[in-house]
Amino acid sequence: MSYLLKTYLCLYFCLWLLVFSGNGWAADKRLIIGGKNFTEQYILAEIAKILLQQHGFDITLKTGVGSTLLRRSLMSGQVDLYFEYTGTAYTVYLKQKDRAIMADAEKVFNFVQQADAKRGLVWLFPLKCNTTYTLMMQAAHAQGLGLASIGDLARYVNKNPQALIFGMNAEFWGRPDGFKRLMQDYGFRVPIGKIRKMTTGLCYTALKEGQIHVSMGFSTDGRIAAFGFINLDDNQKFFPVYNPAPVVRGPVLDKYPEIRQILKIMSKLSTEDMQQLNRSVDVDKISVQQAALNWLKSSG
Amino acid sequence: MIRILFKVNRFFLIMVIFGAGVAAQRTGLIDYFFDPFEYPIFIKLLGQHLYLVGCSMAIATVTGLSVGILLTRPRFKRYAGVGMYIVSLGQTVPSLAVIALAMSFLGIGARSAILALSLYSILPIARNTLAGIVAVPPALIDAARGMGMPPGRLLLEVELPNAMKVIITGFRVALIINIGTAALAFLIGAGGLGDLIFSGISLMQTDKLLAGAIPVTLMALIGDFLCELLGLWLIPQGLRLEKQ
Amino acid sequence: MSTFDFIINNYRQVIYLIGEHVWIVSLALALATLIGVPLGMVITRHKALAARVINAANILMTIPSIALFGLMLPVLSLVGHGLGKVPAVTALVLYSQLPIIRNTYTAIQNVPPAVVDAGKGMGMSRWELLREVQIPISIPVILAGLRTAAVMSIGIAAIAAYIGAGGLGVLIQQGIDRVHQEMILSGALLVSVLALVVDGGMALIERLVTPRGIKIQQPRPK
Repeated sequence: MSYLLKTYLCLYFCLWLLVFSGNGWAADKRLIIGGKNFTEQYILAEIAKILLQQHGFDITLKTGVGSTLLRRSLMSGQVDLYFEYTGTAYTVYLKQKDRAIMADAEKVFNFVQQADAKRGLVWLFPLKCNTTYTLMMQAAHAQGLGLASIGDLARYVNKNPQALIFGMNAEFWGRPDGFKRLMQDYGFRVPIGKIRKMTTGLCYTALKEGQIHVSMGFSTDGRIAAFGFINLDDNQKFFPVYNPAPVVRGPVLDKYPEIRQILKIMSKLSTEDMQQLNRSVDVDKISVQQAALNWLKSSG
Repeated sequence: MIRILFKVNRFFLIMVIFGAGVAAQRTGLIDYFFDPFEYPIFIKLLGQHLYLVGCSMAIATVTGLSVGILLTRPRFKRYAGVGMYIVSLGQTVPSLAVIALAMSFLGIGARSAILALSLYSILPIARNTLAGIVAVPPALIDAARGMGMPPGRLLLEVELPNAMKVIITGFRVALIINIGTAALAFLIGAGGLGDLIFSGISLMQTDKLLAGAIPVTLMALIGDFLCELLGLWLIPQGLRLEKQ
Repeated sequence: MSTFDFIINNYRQVIYLIGEHVWIVSLALALATLIGVPLGMVITRHKALAARVINAANILMTIPSIALFGLMLPVLSLVGHGLGKVPAVTALVLYSQLPIIRNTYTAIQNVPPAVVDAGKGMGMSRWELLREVQIPISIPVILAGLRTAAVMSIGIAAIAAYIGAGGLGVLIQQGIDRVHQEMILSGALLVSVLALVVDGGMALIERLVTPRGIKIQQPRPK
C-alpha cells in the first residue's frame, strides 16, 4: 500500500515540477525572445533569432503577446529580449509627457535608455525606422470628404458625430498615447457606439471592406499602400517618435555582451525597409522566416 | 414545486460563491463597472454576446431537431449512421478553428460568427435528438400505432415527449459550448464579451479581464439552470416521476 | 498556395508547434488522470461526497474555456506564471476532471456486485479487491473517459495560444491576425487530424486492454 502510494506521489510531484520548470532549465546560450502581436514584431524577432542562432545561441520565441504583458515578462525574467518602441516606453511605461523630448528621436531614446538602466534593462540601440501610430482612411473616401489631417477629421466629427465608424485595437484605445487622449488633445469626441474594437490585423481588413471608415494603423504596415489607404497627417504632432530598439535584461547582457554586436546590423533597418518587409509578409504572403532571411541577405 | 426549490438551492449556492469572488475583486472590478466611460460599453458588448448566442442557438435548434428527427424516419434511417459520423467529424474541429474558418470564407463580422456558432451547436442537438427518439421503448410505439395514431401525432405525442429529456440535455450542452465559443467571436470582429477578456489579457488588466470572464461564466451557469427549468416545463410529469 | 503547400513549406515550424501542442495535452492528461482516477475511486466509498465532487467538476466544465484561461492569469501571476504553458496545462487539468472522475466512479459502481461478493468470499482485502477485480473490469470505461478528455483537450488547447502557450492554435491566431487563409486552414486541419488520430488510437487501446470476457457482455459506455 505505501509502496504504491509513494510511487504515485513521486510521479505526481515530478509532473508538476516538469510543468513549472519549463523556464528554469539553465543551459548554455539559451535566450527567450519576445514579440508583440503584429507582423512587424514577428519579423524583428525572427531577424534577431536568425542572427543569434548563427552565433550559436539557442532561441525560443514568445511572440504574439500584448505590450504591457511583454514588458512585465521582460522585467520578471520570463523573456530575455524584445523590441520595444521608444515612444511607447516614454509615454506608456515611464508616463512622460514632454513634447519636446517625444518628438526628437535621439532625445527620447536617451531618456528611456537612462530611465530603464536603473531597472536593469538595457536599450541597445535604436533602429532607423519609425513605426508611428497613424489614423488611416480609404484614400477615395478621405479625398471625397476633403480630409487630409487629423485636425480636419476632428472638425468633421464634431459637425457630424454619427457619420464615421472608427476601428482600433484595445491597446490603442486605452494607452496614454492612444485614442482617448488623442480625442482630448484634438478636441473631438466620437460617440461610443461609433467605436469598434477588434484585433490589430482585423482593422485593416475592416477598413478595406468598408465596415469601418477610420482605422488605427502602424505607419510601416505594407497594407496601407496595397489597400489604397492614406495616413491622416498628425498636424499637432500628438504621436511621439517610435523607433524600435532591442531591450535586453541587464544580467543577460552581462553574460553575453556579444549580443550587442551581433544585432548591430539591425540598426540599419529604415522605415522603407520595414514597409517592404511588412508588405511581403502581409500582402505577398511570404513566410516571416523567408522575409527575415531575404532582408539579411540583401543587407549583408 | 419542491423540486424547483432544490434546483434553485444549488443555483443560489453558485451565485453566492461568485458573489464572494466578485467582492474579493471589489477594488478593481466594481470600479470598472461604474466607470462612466466603460459601463455603456459593457452593456453594448453584453447585448452583442446575447445576440450572437440567441441567433445561433435558434438556428442550431431548428436545424438540429429537424436533422435528428429526419434521420429517424423510415425513409432515412439508413443514413443515420453516416449522418451522425459526418456531423461528429465536424465536432473534432476546435471551436476556434470553426470561427476562424468562417471568417476566412465569409469575411469578418457578426454574420460569419453566427454561422460558425450555429454549425458548432448543431451536433449535440442533432445527436441527442436521434438518440432520444431511437431510445423510445418500441412497445409504446406499437401501442400508439395499434391505437391508430397517424405518424404525425405519433411523433408529437409519443416519440418527442419520451425523448425530451435527452433532447434537452443535448440542447443544454450546445448552449453552454455556444456561450463559451461566442466569446471567441470578438477575434473575427463580431464583438461580444470576448472583447473584454482578450483586451484584459493583452493589456494585463485584471479588472477588464474579469469584467468579461465572470459575466460569461455566469451566463453559462444561468443558461444551465434555465435548461433545468425548461426540462421541468417540457417533460411530462409521468416521465419525470418514472425516472426517479 | 494551397494549404498543403503552406504546411510543407513551413514544416519545421509546423512540427515544432505540433510538438508543443502534444506536450501540453499529454502533460495535462497525465496530471488529470493522476488526480481524477484516485478521486473517482475514493468517492465510491463515500457516496455523500460523490454527488458534490461530480457536481463541482460539472461546474468547472461549464466555465467557458477562454474565461478559465483568463482567470488563470491573475491567479498564477502571483507565482510568476500568468502566461504560457503553465496556466494552459492547469486549466486543461481542471477541464478534464469531469469525464475522468465521472467515468471512474460509474465504472467502479457498475462492477457487478456478484463479482465483488465472490472476491470478498475469496478473502480479498479491500486493496486486493480494487487491484484485482474492480480496476481491471473498470478499465474500458475509465479509458473511454480519458479518450473524451483527450479529444476535448486537443480542441481547447488551440485556444491556449492566446495566453502564450504555443501549440497549433498559433497558426490559427496568426492566420486570423494576418488574414492568411492557408494558415488558418493548416491550423484547423492539423488540430482536427490530431484529434481524430488520438481518438482512433485510444479507441484501439481501449479494445486491446479490455479483457475478452468483458468485451462480450459490456454495455456501450456513454
